[in-house]
Amino acid sequence: MSAGERAPAAELGLLDATMIGMGAMIGAGIFVLTGLAAEIAGPAAILVFVFNGIVTAFTGLSYAELAASIPKSGGGYAFVRETFDDLPSFLMGWMLWFAYMIAGGLYALGFAPNFLELLHVYGVTAAPGQVGAIAVPLLPVSVPAAVGLALVAVALLVTVNALSTAASGSAETLFTAVKVAILVVFVAFGFLSAGGGGETSFTFQQFDPLFPAGNSAFSILPAMGLTFIAFEGYDLITTVTEEVENPRENIPRAIFYSLGATVVVYALVVVVAIGTLGAQGLADAGEAGIAQAATSFMPTGLPIIRNGGALIVFGAVFSTLTALNAVVIASSRVAFSMGREGQLLPRIGRIHHRYGTPFFAILLSAVVMLGSVVLPTESAGNVSSLFFLLSFIVVNAAVIKLRRDRPNMRRPYEMPYYPIPAVLGIALNLLLTGVLVVYLVRTDPLALALSVGWILAGVAAYYALRGRGEGAAPGSTDSSNAEAGDG
Amino acid sequence: MDGNFRIVIAGGGRVGNRVAHILDDRGHDVTVVERDPERAEALSDDYVATVIEGDATRPGVLEQAGLERADVVAALTSQTGTNLAVCLLTRELAPDTQTVVRTESEPGAEFDRFVDEVIFPERAGARAAVNAIEPDVSALEDVTGTLDILEVHVADGAPVAGRSLDEVALPRGSLIVSDAAGDTLAGAETVLHAGESYLVAVEPSVVDEVLNLFGG
Repeated sequence: MSAGERAPAAELGLLDATMIGMGAMIGAGIFVLTGLAAEIAGPAAILVFVFNGIVTAFTGLSYAELAASIPKSGGGYAFVRETFDDLPSFLMGWMLWFAYMIAGGLYALGFAPNFLELLHVYGVTAAPGQVGAIAVPLLPVSVPAAVGLALVAVALLVTVNALSTAASGSAETLFTAVKVAILVVFVAFGFLSAGGGGETSFTFQQFDPLFPAGNSAFSILPAMGLTFIAFEGYDLITTVTEEVENPRENIPRAIFYSLGATVVVYALVVVVAIGTLGAQGLADAGEAGIAQAATSFMPTGLPIIRNGGALIVFGAVFSTLTALNAVVIASSRVAFSMGREGQLLPRIGRIHHRYGTPFFAILLSAVVMLGSVVLPTESAGNVSSLFFLLSFIVVNAAVIKLRRDRPNMRRPYEMPYYPIPAVLGIALNLLLTGVLVVYLVRTDPLALALSVGWILAGVAAYYALRGRGEGAAPGSTDSSNAEAGDG
Repeated sequence: MDGNFRIVIAGGGRVGNRVAHILDDRGHDVTVVERDPERAEALSDDYVATVIEGDATRPGVLEQAGLERADVVAALTSQTGTNLAVCLLTRELAPDTQTVVRTESEPGAEFDRFVDEVIFPERAGARAAVNAIEPDVSALEDVTGTLDILEVHVADGAPVAGRSLDEVALPRGSLIVSDAAGDTLAGAETVLHAGESYLVAVEPSVVDEVLNLFGG
């Protein structure tokens, strides 16, 4: 038509689906969360990521079983909606939606210091810590440079996603390949620096003692909870299931491949970062930890990129941006499916007449994401991790409930040794949730208050929307039911 | 048609299978109850529906299809008796759910008290046979390959309602053929009014999106 046409979504292969999962898991935590993990667990941060990988593997089995038997996009929310009553499935979507939006804020906050580091490497600005506030043109206020940059990044990606259909899976594959390649370079140079004798040469002495003084091995538990957000990638794979070829085989495979590859990449990168900077150095560098480690040991005097560290810093900027893009898509998809299911205002479940995107869902998510940028990085990560933990518990429970309620349902993929993995998934995620909550009570009541507040707001919204639906106005909660009833 | 329906199909044979595929293309949630393990496996390979393997006339099996949340139950096996039993069970278990029954013989009004809709596939088969025998005139559904020519109703508050075609970006693979009255071809200035129906030619891969744009 005259207003221009849009191409339908492309089919994604096994590689694309795996890369979507890896892209989300690697882009997120590796640059932003490693410093945090090192701060709490010391050199044992390496164990944090490996154990988190093991804990999530059980949930991965649950996702695989659900995704193979329920042919729906929409991720965890869609599966839980299929299994549980209205309120639990609403809360699942509500939490997942928030977790993705907050993750967006977190990645934006991770992007900013890395971007400043990139400018610093090229001598455009001073070192990140020394960049002051930027005066906002035309407005009589100034915002800290990092927050300003984070806001700009969110606004940019939201605009792109609101105005056109999401970048195709093959673009995501390329992005992830670039990220992984950069990290491989980082790991290689890190190990090569061993024995160089320089201050930041790789040495195993940095791992001794493995646990920081005065802390027991249990100190890795809160760190596991805090960095759990890194493993949200499962949900992302299953939000695009319907676009994947031969999904009942490829989705479970993509889940396991991406998890395995991600754990290996995380372990290697963390080993190198701690082996060169030391756990304390990594912790001090915060969100820009990996980038600073790289700047310190990568060769200098290279053509064009001048400084080997610049490559890694570029990788960090690129990764946080692509991860931000992924969660902009993911958060709006959750809101969109909730709107379509009549669990949020129907308007949120509609695509825009011209852009063909879930415009309102994206806009609404953007507002919360922009708001969350003002949160401290740690609080943002905490809330997001907590909600991912909770929603993973529900997903594991959904598998058990479905097996009981629908014994005759065809399950093209069945988890081995059922119900042990699902029960373990619930138990371990519960344990981490408990540890995280206890930790938050002590260190970050803001995050805890936010989480509780959001859940209460959800319950209120649920009953408010339901109230509308039971009234005279048709179509406010579930237009399809209303229509079917009339027909 | 507004939003997406939840549809339970009893019988994943020739008719049920096709119906499941078409409904999936249109973005609905489909659950198929199929007794034959091979057919059930083929259906789950196609990834168009959740598949319950078992006899749909057994209440314990039919309930697993999630009747209480279904908008429509379509009993589409080749056995009229089986289909009627499924519809009667549905009435009992989930009285608000619409029922569609497939019959093997020319239906009279005898089913009207027990089901909401009756379909008789042989009538469509006969039309296809006539199309083949007398090729100069063909009934519409037989001339388009996989392409669908649909009459689509614009719901109140649909994304496209009240907008002209030059304001709307339809997905590639779709074309508005005629305006509401059906006597002029659609052009850039054609306005899509809520409450009216339009003739739309659409490829299967984008049916879902087009219906989303027209639905409320």
